[in-house]
Amino acid sequence: MSKKSRSKLWFLVHSWLALPIWFFVLIVCVTGTLAVVSQEIVWLANPQMRASAPSDDAPLLSYDQVLAAIKKAEPQTVVQSISRPDESHFALDVEVSYPDGRSLTVYVNPYTGVIQGPAPTFNFKAFTRALHGWWLVPFTNGFSWGWYLVSFLGLPMLASLVTGLVVYKRFWKGFFRPTLRIRHGARIFWGDFHRLSGIWSIWFIAVISITGVWFLIRALLFDFQISISSEPIIPAMSRESVPISADGTPPPRISLDSAIEIAQQKIPGLEASFVSLPGNAYSHMSVGGRGWYPLMFQTATLNPYNGDIAASRLLSDRSALEFVTESMRPLHTGDFGGIWIKLIWFFFGLLLSMMVLSGLLIWTKRTALATLNALKREDKRNRKVAPRSTDRHEPSEVRP
Amino acid sequence: MSHIGITPPSRLNRFWHKWRFHLNVLLLLIPLGFMPKYFADASLFRGDSGLGEREIGEIQVGPWSLRLAELRNQAPILTGPAGYMKDFSAALCDACVDHVKATYLRIGKPRSLRAAGVIFFGTPYRMGTQLPVPEKTAADAELWITMEGWDGSMHQASIPLRQASPATLAWLNKQGAKP
Repeated sequence: MSKKSRSKLWFLVHSWLALPIWFFVLIVCVTGTLAVVSQEIVWLANPQMRASAPSDDAPLLSYDQVLAAIKKAEPQTVVQSISRPDESHFALDVEVSYPDGRSLTVYVNPYTGVIQGPAPTFNFKAFTRALHGWWLVPFTNGFSWGWYLVSFLGLPMLASLVTGLVVYKRFWKGFFRPTLRIRHGARIFWGDFHRLSGIWSIWFIAVISITGVWFLIRALLFDFQISISSEPIIPAMSRESVPISADGTPPPRISLDSAIEIAQQKIPGLEASFVSLPGNAYSHMSVGGRGWYPLMFQTATLNPYNGDIAASRLLSDRSALEFVTESMRPLHTGDFGGIWIKLIWFFFGLLLSMMVLSGLLIWTKRTALATLNALKREDKRNRKVAPRSTDRHEPSEVRP
Repeated sequence: MSHIGITPPSRLNRFWHKWRFHLNVLLLLIPLGFMPKYFADASLFRGDSGLGEREIGEIQVGPWSLRLAELRNQAPILTGPAGYMKDFSAALCDACVDHVKATYLRIGKPRSLRAAGVIFFGTPYRMGTQLPVPEKTAADAELWITMEGWDGSMHQASIPLRQASPATLAWLNKQGAKP
């Protein structure tokens, strides 16, 4: 095979990877891009989600103070967990259960403990993630087939990146001589745009597609009941370790702040970003936060009556494989280093969505042009000699 | 020699060539179709539509009582190697919130508190559990509720499975019909 026809073949592969499913890929890219900043969008739309400090030097309340403030405002409300979002402009997310049987998240001011309001009924964050992650197909037995449909896209995306770089001869030159011709018609503009955003997005497309393929593998592992986890299963507390109270009321539990203190002795430097309370009389409470490696959480699981640590999960407890696999999700979502990382992910997400669109535009414009040219040639030949089929479009993408 | 460029292609062929790469827009029908279910589920899990899809009613268990519901009004579902599972939710009576330590569910009478069955998780206002339902469960089986008090006391009650979950009974009957 000649060099030229080989690059033609690569070019065809490159166009066929996304072309038949371009709209699906586009919507997955757009919803993924929105999902990255979904928390921020909800923050913009809902003032009750904001953490306004009453004064500049107002200290943050401790978890126990928050719990006490909620208890005082709504004595009947049962708190299930409190979590402190990464960015300080967000109010605390507190999962509560009400006597009428509703369980929802309420936003609590981290400085005053005021319950600022419930999370909106329409959960934009969960919705965009569900649409992006599994195309809203429900999970019944194991992973939803929508999850497979979406995560499978990681493969053509990775192949697009590789074939794109093969087709784009000496692409590294594009870094030094960026070309974006605006006044040469739409076809040229979108071609330049596709190539320029492509080379600057190499890292991002690689991250998104590799982590996307991981989501596919994860579903397969789960559905075939293969576990790679080194995390031990924590048994429920024994009957003996739960005290009986003579007066028939619940025995006292350790305070949240002392639970955090105990956890910090086990996990030096732990900054607790969440506390979850026991799910029943025989289950544990847990405390956790990010460690020096921002992509993973470290957690401690405690007996809520005497503070004994039942289990802990530190960075050092993870196997090398788990370091890789557990990093996949945060790398995909960009949720590991605050607003700036999210904004970078959002920007490149937009760029990736535009690449799907520009790819389609290039293809339709070129095909339209190629068809027109083919017809013209056909017409000429018909008038002269016997015609020949010219059902082929020129891969003008292959530039020297 | 055929004149490919001149013979007019059929209408279907023209339509296919024009729209073949846009047919994937139809994939959007999948999330659109599942959207009502998505929002119904979200409301179910938030508790906006009650304890579950089907309320079984208030059941007296010794001095206490609880409201029991089927999370979904449907047959048990297969959940991996653990077999078929059926979700129930419950809420404790107002007076017993502070006295009940744990609530359990089991098909058939438990021999002791240690074998009381699956334990409920959640808060007294809304808790849930997954009950394993063996495929060979008898149609006249009973669902036993065990409640344990903080003072060490234990109380039990039972209701027929057919009353607790008609959908499970229909499913069991269908299983039995199998050769």
